[in-house]
Amino acid sequence: MPRPVQPGHGADVAAAFYERSGAAAYGVSTEQFAAILDEILCKYLSQNSAHDSARASAEQKADFCAGLRLEELALARACAAGNERAWQDFIARYRQKLHGMALHITRDGAHAAELADSLFADLYGVNARNGVRSSKLVFYTGRGSLEGWLRTVMAQEFINRYRKQKRTVSLEEQTEEGVQFRAAVPEPACASDRLSQERLEAATDEALAELSSEDRFTLASYYLDGRTLAEIARTLGLHESSVSRRLDRLATGLRKRILAGLRLQGMSHAQAMEALETDVRDIGLNLRSRLTQDSGAKTFPEGKVPAQDAGKGSHD
Amino acid sequence: MTEVPKIVYDRLRAARPERALPDRALPERAGPERTHPDADLLTAFAEQALAATERDGVLEHLAFCGDCREVIALALPAADIVAAPIATETAVRATPVPAKSERNFLTAFAWPSLRWAALAAGVAVVASVLLVHPGKLNKATLPSVNRQVATTAPPVSAPQIAPSSTDQAAISARTSEARPKSESRLSKKLNAGEAVTPPPRAERGMLLAENKNHSGQADKLSAAPSAGVLFDAPTNPRTTETVEVSGAAAAEEVAPAAEDSLMAWNETPAIEKAKPALQEKEMKVNEQQKTQAAVVPGLARSQARAMMSSAKLASPASPALAHNVTWVIIGGVLQRSVDSGQSWQNVLRTDHPLLCYASHEEDVWAGGQAGTLFHSADGGTTWVQVQPSIKAQQLSSDVTHIDVRGDVRGDERGPAEIAISTSNNGIWSSADGGRTWEKK
Repeated sequence: MPRPVQPGHGADVAAAFYERSGAAAYGVSTEQFAAILDEILCKYLSQNSAHDSARASAEQKADFCAGLRLEELALARACAAGNERAWQDFIARYRQKLHGMALHITRDGAHAAELADSLFADLYGVNARNGVRSSKLVFYTGRGSLEGWLRTVMAQEFINRYRKQKRTVSLEEQTEEGVQFRAAVPEPACASDRLSQERLEAATDEALAELSSEDRFTLASYYLDGRTLAEIARTLGLHESSVSRRLDRLATGLRKRILAGLRLQGMSHAQAMEALETDVRDIGLNLRSRLTQDSGAKTFPEGKVPAQDAGKGSHD
Repeated sequence: MTEVPKIVYDRLRAARPERALPDRALPERAGPERTHPDADLLTAFAEQALAATERDGVLEHLAFCGDCREVIALALPAADIVAAPIATETAVRATPVPAKSERNFLTAFAWPSLRWAALAAGVAVVASVLLVHPGKLNKATLPSVNRQVATTAPPVSAPQIAPSSTDQAAISARTSEARPKSESRLSKKLNAGEAVTPPPRAERGMLLAENKNHSGQADKLSAAPSAGVLFDAPTNPRTTETVEVSGAAAAEEVAPAAEDSLMAWNETPAIEKAKPALQEKEMKVNEQQKTQAAVVPGLARSQARAMMSSAKLASPASPALAHNVTWVIIGGVLQRSVDSGQSWQNVLRTDHPLLCYASHEEDVWAGGQAGTLFHSADGGTTWVQVQPSIKAQQLSSDVTHIDVRGDVRGDERGPAEIAISTSNNGIWSSADGGRTWEKK
């Protein structure tokens, strides 16, 4: 149960926020809005030990609340409470956008309509708990824009659906996708290869651990997730060229650090270079090529070949 | 982009998201996804609305959690709706960078920095070449630039618009000499922020041409007529008539070479003097094109350019442009504008909706459904219904296209040739202005 705003502490501030939010138009009372703000303060300020909700000053609370999207928060909570006018406003503002967002996420008209309708149903609250309609909008806290929140919730829903569908792929579909032809990851054959691989992994882990979280996010987004420079730049609020330069710097630095780590583990520079260039996935391929070269060398040895042998070889 | 070793992919993929949650900076949710930041935080992160500590916490999670990265990426607004937030790296970084990831001072002299230095040096070299040899460069670029001038020239007054042929030759001859001086003079005025009074025609033309190179200044100049600050000369619709090419035959002879004439105007004086007769015609056409753009100050530059291009394509000397009359059919009603589209008036409303029109000088034809065909010989003031017929067979199908061509013999205007396409693929033509018809 959220604590009400203490009189004299933040009541005036809460009243100012209430005024700014326009919650009165949706039938939300001052007390109800103050309770919503308190709930959000408890959720976020209490999570950080440095800003314990109990110890957070009125100024800190006021600063935090000032950063919230109060108008959109009032709209969302009024919708969750079932206010008719709030729903009219919400539909006018976001109903069409929901379809646009769904289309942007799914890139498919039919799936987009299904996703948007499903989310709209969740927002309206068709699932009743204990006889009370439960709207998803009650989870909106105004930290970001309501439109952005809707996009995020829709993206989460899309990923959940995609996973469910992926889990229920039939054997026929797997066969069509060629799963049975997928090559298994070969294990390192000998002990020296295994040791080299372990050293390489350890050195790479150390090098990656030295990165800042933003650098690691950039690296993973680009190389692992295949995001474009523009997408990463928009997420981080940077320019594309900054991301490009950062990736170049990271790739170069990682290589140097991994090599340094391998050398610290007793490998020579040549061995470290070889270990870095060799990947466990390439070992099978290298062995195959090596075998091919060996057999070719035996078939056509250098130097003089007796005429009889050469003739036999050619006939074989 | 520099590639990373394959082992980096593997280790990035093998990392577990749980490692990213050492502290309680992130609010947790009940259920199996308790370790993921909620939608509010992810939204606020994507919108750069989080405080530094919270942003670090979310970033720490995102660095290890591919699912949340995917949610963030999917939830990004479409690029055409919201522009990418552009900020400097230092401005966005709200928290101090950890010491281990701080950029080494020496990296300031690394190749990326040198690339920018090389780019800056290249720009400096190009700028210095432009300053030292402006004349040569302008000579090379003027033909293409001058065509833009024809569409963006400001309005000019009547006495300046029709100089004598001797003046034209003299202007052409001293064009290259006047160029650097005039350019520097204008740039000084622009720099000083003065209102520039219209210079003589030749200078102004060249100033405009040359200053198209400086896009910012040129935009100011081209925008000046509507703003009334620079080149604030009054618009005189009659100026078009003073430079009108006298007859379609002459226009047909000159206009196909209009592109060439624009280029020839900027050739060396020796060449121009060698062709005085041709130059005179070319100059007239050039002046006409300039004036057509000049008399429509209210139009946007793109509209003016579109009008100019349509004028070139439609007919050599389009009367609609020469007389500043524009036609359009809206809702089956023929409308006319005599002020370049600023105001419109209904000139012909028929029982059946009109579908198409064609005009040649004062002759205007309009056709519509059920064989409707009207003709005006006075630019749309009075209309006469025409009923094409051949041996008691009357035109009854819809008129979908009209093609009218003037017949000019010497200075006398003859009857127009008109061809009508109908909805049942028939073609009706008349060589005597609509008195007798043939069907093909």
